[in-house]
Amino acid sequence: MIYQDTLQLTDHGKGAYEITDLVAGFIRESSIRLGTCQLFIHSSSASLLIGDIADDATKSQTAVFMAQLAPSSDNAEHRINASMDAIPDDARYALAQTSLSIPVSNGKPGIGVWQGIFLWERRTHPAERKLTITVSGE
Amino acid sequence: MVHQQQLLFSTRGRGTFDISREVDEVIHNSGISKGICQVFIHHTSASLILCENADPTVRTDLETFMKQLVPDGDRMFQHTDEGPDDMPAHVRTVLTQSTLSIPVDDGREALGTWQGIYLWEHRTHPHQRKITVTVMGE
Repeated sequence: MIYQDTLQLTDHGKGAYEITDLVAGFIRESSIRLGTCQLFIHSSSASLLIGDIADDATKSQTAVFMAQLAPSSDNAEHRINASMDAIPDDARYALAQTSLSIPVSNGKPGIGVWQGIFLWERRTHPAERKLTITVSGE
Repeated sequence: MVHQQQLLFSTRGRGTFDISREVDEVIHNSGISKGICQVFIHHTSASLILCENADPTVRTDLETFMKQLVPDGDRMFQHTDEGPDDMPAHVRTVLTQSTLSIPVDDGREALGTWQGIYLWEHRTHPHQRKITVTVMGE
């Protein structure tokens, strides 16, 4: 059996937003007990990641590392051209995931105790993101 | 048809561990001959990679590369409660994979001749790691 829907999420700009509960609710709705759940984000400057939920610092530190690896164009020089904002974002995008798959066990996300599913928004301004969730199984 | 099984691995600290044989055994147990196999790791400081399996120095080099990219004890990091390898382990996990999907063909994992599935332990101390393997197909 396959259960799929596309959801619209509005975020508040740059940051990681936990969507584990939303995914759990969707799996429950599907009434699939055993299988897999795939998440796909229809965007090139927001992505998906599985992160640690034990300490909030992990989340911000991951962002700090990524910012160093693909420096942001927050400075005035680059912001003259609004589209430039997208370049480091795209570089970071290539380092993260567009689609993420998790097991479904007992009708729930079969993930670790300290794992959370996050939408990672990299643009400074709030954005609306489209997310397609596909649950397959029985 | 869906078959799901959990595997436990005791790592010996930082390094890569070939789990291809264990995953193939789950596929064999499932009785599924054609489909997809999802491998998921339940942790945020250990991850999964597909890597070349002929020459072990490839994995030693990957380790060297990662150590340079995400240095232990980097003063940029604040999440250091569990030691200098704590936050780097989370970043290394985000940069690699928590889930792998591989095709199942003829009742076996359809990997390339020189591909192996590896659990990559990012913490310096030994840990017990949980992996869920979900095989779907017919």
